[in-house]
Amino acid sequence: MAVKREKEFLGSGVSPGVVFGQALKLDNRNRAILKMRVDDVEEEIRRLLNAIEQSKAQLAVLKSRLEEKIGSEHSVILDTHILILEDQTLRNEILDGIRKERANSEWAVTRAMKRIVRAYESLEDEYFREKHNDIEDVMERVLLNLSGDRPFSWDNLPGDLILVSRDFHPSAFATMDLQKVRGLVLELGGRTSHTAIISRGLRLPAVMGIRDILPSITTGDALIVNGDDGQVILNPTQKRMQRMRGRIEAFGTTASYVLEKSGQTTLTRDGTAVSLRANTELPYELEAAKRCGAEGIGLFRSELLFFGHPQGLPSVEEQCSSYRELVREMKPHTVAIRTLDAGSEKVFDGEDYSGQDNSAMGLRGIRLSLKAKDMFRSQIEAILRSSSDGNIEIVLPMVSTVEEIWQAKSLISEVRESLRENSDLELRKVPVGAMIEVPAAVFSLEVLAKEVDFLCVGTNDLIQYMLAVDRENPHVAYLFQPLHPTVLHCLARIADVAANLKTPARICGEISSNPFYAVLLLGMGYTQLSMNPLSIPAIRRVLHEVSIDDSRRIAEKALTFVTAHEVCRYLTDAVSKLVKTDLAYYAREIAAPNGKS
Amino acid sequence: MIRLSIEVENNLGLHARAAAKLVQLASGFSSNIYLSRKDANQKIDSKSILGVLMLAASKGTCLAVSIDGHDELEAGEAIRKLFKSKFGEKE
Repeated sequence: MAVKREKEFLGSGVSPGVVFGQALKLDNRNRAILKMRVDDVEEEIRRLLNAIEQSKAQLAVLKSRLEEKIGSEHSVILDTHILILEDQTLRNEILDGIRKERANSEWAVTRAMKRIVRAYESLEDEYFREKHNDIEDVMERVLLNLSGDRPFSWDNLPGDLILVSRDFHPSAFATMDLQKVRGLVLELGGRTSHTAIISRGLRLPAVMGIRDILPSITTGDALIVNGDDGQVILNPTQKRMQRMRGRIEAFGTTASYVLEKSGQTTLTRDGTAVSLRANTELPYELEAAKRCGAEGIGLFRSELLFFGHPQGLPSVEEQCSSYRELVREMKPHTVAIRTLDAGSEKVFDGEDYSGQDNSAMGLRGIRLSLKAKDMFRSQIEAILRSSSDGNIEIVLPMVSTVEEIWQAKSLISEVRESLRENSDLELRKVPVGAMIEVPAAVFSLEVLAKEVDFLCVGTNDLIQYMLAVDRENPHVAYLFQPLHPTVLHCLARIADVAANLKTPARICGEISSNPFYAVLLLGMGYTQLSMNPLSIPAIRRVLHEVSIDDSRRIAEKALTFVTAHEVCRYLTDAVSKLVKTDLAYYAREIAAPNGKS
Repeated sequence: MIRLSIEVENNLGLHARAAAKLVQLASGFSSNIYLSRKDANQKIDSKSILGVLMLAASKGTCLAVSIDGHDELEAGEAIRKLFKSKFGEKE
């Protein structure tokens, strides 16, 4: 057998660590396309034919519906699709794959489809060349029906897998067996993508943004994923393996610990309670929050309810049903709904808000809500109504003046009054909090904090605004330093003011999912941290090993340094001495908060 | 075994709808019916939609049809008619 050549790819390291494993290539819907040996070929053929028949039946139904709606002129395309399913040449090719290779239907279908698509793509005439879309469409349907029949199972896969895909939808994490996955390589995505954030939560080394890597990779190929340097090595040589061995072994961590049943409360070594809550957005994250023992939702990002909504805006009822589900599922804990924090490009109340070059400093968050009042009212009404089912809070994003809080609160009371008059729902008290994410809010905190029931420190935005660094801009990304002394002083100030005024303050940002930072925050006085739910078990474990006094001492000392680098070195050293849990992964994360690219 | 020579006369050529009609018609006969472009060697099965579309036959393309089987005469006649009728396409 010919030795496969080593090949190196460079992308952006979005989650640190170095791992070795074998590629598992996923298709655009994040399903694995892999060849599995089947024992009973005839049974496999029956499975395929069933899926084809099922697909034909579905198309026939679609066709008759379409004819009713727009007439038979247009349903002809479905005739073509049905004929593709009946095509003997195609069918023989698929059957050949199953018989000769003793392979699973999914693989045989995919292989046949690829061959045909390739042939079509070489046609000169554009109309006929485009026909490959129809073929793919039909084959997707067959694949879908195959998976319904006997879903792809992680049970049959070996361990140490590196997922390789064009894109990876965060919800796909919910369906995979994390014990078998060691790393992630994507053609798209970047540091701030949701998938990157989750990868870090799972301690899964990941490299993203490698264009055109897919054609070079076959399921089963040996890969090294180096999330520290944003490097992927295909077919690493012996020499390379030896060189990397030290790093690979040290970071042979899997994400399996997040699957451990997590306790429900977090206590420091000296018994101080810390409330770890979840930031959520996607439906599956609620499941993760429960599994990881989140003590409530510290921040629910409501934007997804609004974006991509077919009617432009979700109704009060639609919003209500989403909020109620969160509240019921998280009982007896509290769910904080952040009101719409959209840039104006996504809004739809009939006004034209275009022409803003800098959306980060434009009409967004509470600013927009106070302009698009009907939309804001509907969201407030839905939140207030949902309070009849459990504990819910309102969080106002992007607050920069106290007037914004006054106006929002007066609108909230109006809505509450009208609900009281017009419905017999038993409404609970709904606390109102402000996101502290604009420098102006930090410096007028004495005024703002008196007007709200609690504070949510949105560290992702706060750091950007504080340091005037757009982390998406690669030229200045190195300046995005969560450990910048100014940021630390800023966070310490918020904690002090909040404590003096007895207004609870909660950290809602990625930084709290790093144990080093979590210890620092605890030392500053924060006892409510809200983070990616998958990070909760690790933070819980680390805080358990640290006492309040330890953390105070560390925070005090950390505030004396003048560069982020010094803070980082001190913090890494001081926390590692206290904690037995292996923190090497997080030490790398905190040392390179923006990854390398 | 009979051979026909047919020109694609309809405006859209053997596009999806015409191809579907041809495949449906051909599938009704037991004879083997093969098509090839006069300007290429590739021979395709007229009962395979993917094959027919692969011909990428636009208006004016000349096709050779070979039919072999006990209903070859009827099949040849039906196919000739279908092409002549321009697949029912409106002008």
